Amino acid sequence: MRMLIILVLVFTGGYASAHQWTPTYPKLKPSHIVGIYTTKMELFNARKEISYYSIGVFDKDWKKVPFVSTPSLLKVRHLDKKLVEIYLHKRDTKRAHYICSKSKILSSVRDPSIIASRICSKIK
Amino acid sequence: MKNKLIILATIMAAPVLATATTPISGTVASKCIVTTDTDGVYGNPSATKLTTVSSEGGVLPIIRYDIITANAYNARISTPISFTSSPSLAGDVVNWTGSTVANQMSDAGMSVFNTNKVVYNNTTEFPLSIAGSVWFDISSEATYGYNKAFPAGSYSAVVTAECIAQ
Repeated sequence: MRMLIILVLVFTGGYASAHQWTPTYPKLKPSHIVGIYTTKMELFNARKEISYYSIGVFDKDWKKVPFVSTPSLLKVRHLDKKLVEIYLHKRDTKRAHYICSKSKILSSVRDPSIIASRICSKIK
Repeated sequence: MKNKLIILATIMAAPVLATATTPISGTVASKCIVTTDTDGVYGNPSATKLTTVSSEGGVLPIIRYDIITANAYNARISTPISFTSSPSLAGDVVNWTGSTVANQMSDAGMSVFNTNKVVYNNTTEFPLSIAGSVWFDISSEATYGYNKAFPAGSYSAVVTAECIAQ
């Protein structure tokens, strides 16, 4: 019953102005290039005031880990989904801990209080 | 005759039975959804203070977290410690205070979020140990120097809402 309430909330009002980044626990797999590992993440943007999201990979101490994605600054229209491929060098796979997406606020936005959202998935 | 009728009825009912057992499959995956429920507004009850507290003319920013699976994420909310845009404030320092409270929740048990929260610097971290939806009220207050009036102009600040996988 509780799950039904959650799903109703998520699928009705939940997308009014939401940011979603899945899966929660991505797994790195060898890519078609030797020594490079990859995973796919999905970003859903239901925040009307936000059009850009940055991607970041971090270790457990929140230090940046080098990575390549397509691209690292994403333009995602309102109510649009985007699949992001993340590529990491084999030597960085052990220390990479989190893959995060963060909303980017344009400098032209002059709202009195702005909310920046960041969701981080943990690499398993 | 009776046996033939039973066989015939069984054959005719077979397609109906087949359609009745068509499966519907679905997956409920672990995820965290961050939703901006209410954008905040700084009220200016006196020349020396900007605050989001509603009794002082402000509007509290409210952020909703939807958690599909318990114990998969931590919510981390940081209140502002600087303005992203403002008139020149070079004359003195801005003093910031802020707090975050889980106010509305889809499950009464979520009141433990407030009990188990950890506060450090300008950040409050809540272990999201129960699945459901929870609304966080964020208050932010800024004063300028010692009883100094804020210069006229528009002010903006950013609240950061994070969802970190455990």
